[in-house]
Amino acid sequence: MNAITGSTALWYASRATGVVSLLLLSLVVMLGILVNRQGRLPGLPSFAVTGLHRSLSLLSVLFIGVHVATAVIDPYVSIRLAAVVIPFVSAYEPFWLGLGAVALDLVAALILTSLARAYMSRRTWRGIHWLAYAAWPVALVHGIGSSPDLRGGGLLLVAIGSALAVAVAGLWRVAAAAREVPRAERAAHTMAGVQRQVHRARAGHGGAR
Amino acid sequence: MTHHATLPMPGPGQWAAGDAPPPDAGRQDDGHGGPLPRLMPARPAPAGLTEHLTRFGAPPYRGAPRRLIGDVEAAGLTGRGGAAFPTHRKLAAMAGRGPAPVVIGNGAEGEPASSKDKSLLWYSPHLVLDGLQLAAEAVGSATIGLYIHRNPRLYERLEAAIAERAAAGLDAARVELIEAPHRFLAGEESALAGRISGGPALPRFKPPRASQRGVAGRRTLVQNVETLAHLALIARYGPGWFRSAGTPDEPGSMLATLHQADGRMGVVETALGTPIAELLRLPAPAVLVGGYHGAWLPGAQAELLPLTNAALRPLGAAVGAGVLAALPGDRCGLAETARVVRYLALESAGQCGPCFNGLPRIAGALAELAGPWPRPQVQADLQRWSGLVAGRGACHHPDGTVRLVRSALQVFAAEIGHHAHGSCTGTTSRPFLPLPAEPPLDDTDWE
Repeated sequence: MNAITGSTALWYASRATGVVSLLLLSLVVMLGILVNRQGRLPGLPSFAVTGLHRSLSLLSVLFIGVHVATAVIDPYVSIRLAAVVIPFVSAYEPFWLGLGAVALDLVAALILTSLARAYMSRRTWRGIHWLAYAAWPVALVHGIGSSPDLRGGGLLLVAIGSALAVAVAGLWRVAAAAREVPRAERAAHTMAGVQRQVHRARAGHGGAR
Repeated sequence: MTHHATLPMPGPGQWAAGDAPPPDAGRQDDGHGGPLPRLMPARPAPAGLTEHLTRFGAPPYRGAPRRLIGDVEAAGLTGRGGAAFPTHRKLAAMAGRGPAPVVIGNGAEGEPASSKDKSLLWYSPHLVLDGLQLAAEAVGSATIGLYIHRNPRLYERLEAAIAERAAAGLDAARVELIEAPHRFLAGEESALAGRISGGPALPRFKPPRASQRGVAGRRTLVQNVETLAHLALIARYGPGWFRSAGTPDEPGSMLATLHQADGRMGVVETALGTPIAELLRLPAPAVLVGGYHGAWLPGAQAELLPLTNAALRPLGAAVGAGVLAALPGDRCGLAETARVVRYLALESAGQCGPCFNGLPRIAGALAELAGPWPRPQVQADLQRWSGLVAGRGACHHPDGTVRLVRSALQVFAAEIGHHAHGSCTGTTSRPFLPLPAEPPLDDTDWE
């Protein structure tokens, strides 16, 4: 019964893409947290972090799409199309699948508003983008709740690892916000740092003058 | 007040801060069209309402929206705030379907080297106020504002002028005066909209542009005060008259702020296309064109050019808001640029990383390059950082600053060579280009 056959392929595909989706979403959330203002990854300029955030989120759309499509098509449990987008109406596991529908709706809102970002105000886009902080935990709980896979073994470690990584990034962000220099002083703050650097560098260069 | 301490409001009998215009510029028929000045009063004293009405008559209202726009289009009037955007296109976009827009005259020139808008508002307030009323009629608006830098003397004069017009029944709608903080970026269109809506004068990301959602969320037409004064004259005398000065592609006259190498400074009205050599006393080692978001040109090159975007744009420069400065022979162009770029860096609104991180780095490198024996890698650093900040802000502050830096690296290449060997052709370190006192560092400064 554990072999992949014609009747279990869809079921396996749905579970596998679900796990990959969770991993991708965790990465996207972490990059999204880091990309904000002073975020840097070693060896990557900040625009590359932005680019990676964008590419990975589009990739996760693909995996979520396959995850949802295979779950619906799979005849093993019957999931109505409406239950994909309307939360808590599924006959099978209404609560856990409902969380999946919530996460799907939130992710759809994030992706669509980002694709149409040029047509809306930055404030609107930003407000909607804050939903990412709701979408990710809902997706994680949906994964743990609806499948026993994530509750033990290697995949449990993956789930815990993802949660820890996102939590650490979030804490770093909060700490960074506390250290933040007020807007009007930022340029002067950098200027003072630059002057110290130039001074040290010139001294190291052999005491020019 | 500190911000423009170097540019006090011109007093009676003067054209601008402390000095008369050079005898060879401005006020006479200059051979490029009709007699100038058009905007400034015939004698250098502020024009009161009686004098204004005697010279120009009452504002020629058209009786309905849109009617004036054809004349403005035929005249080829472009924005005199620096961007030279066709005025009729802004008017037409606002006069189209949709709710009535807000109309704002922008007199908040943040540029320390420019004082033409202040001078115009001081000497010819009624021409600007006519233009505001006519523009508001053209786009079907009854909500009008005039945005100026904080300046008690100018505020009082404009307040009196508005009251005088109300008493004479000249205005269709009352003009509200709004004060801008003394910051370089306070006159930027989205900063203006933010300030007039009651918030800080900070540039915003676009969209939405002020024309889509500006003051209090309403569509907003923002026109430079000089543009409005030209519009008031086009409404009276027609496009043909307007085009009798200037070039076919860039018609009309414009106000320019001139900084002569001998330290004299003045505002003049000149036809577009006037040779730069007729405005500035040359030769000079280099000429700054377009202000602090503008570009340096070698003096020998500037000497041969007319004041048009057609001639300047291929060289990476632009007419901008009409600032021209001839570098004195005893000053170091690198040192002058470094001072200005340091000021520009500190004027960053602190909103966009590339700007508030990048510009101080660029300013620091330029300061090193302006001193003796800069480290050899500094010039390459400057080029690299300039590439990294251009085009990456909510407003054009990084782009404009980088334009100035790049032009300085080119025009003062020989000077960079001198500095590499510890020498400098400048013989005095006395500042030439005007800068305000150190900008205060406080978030409330934006309000």
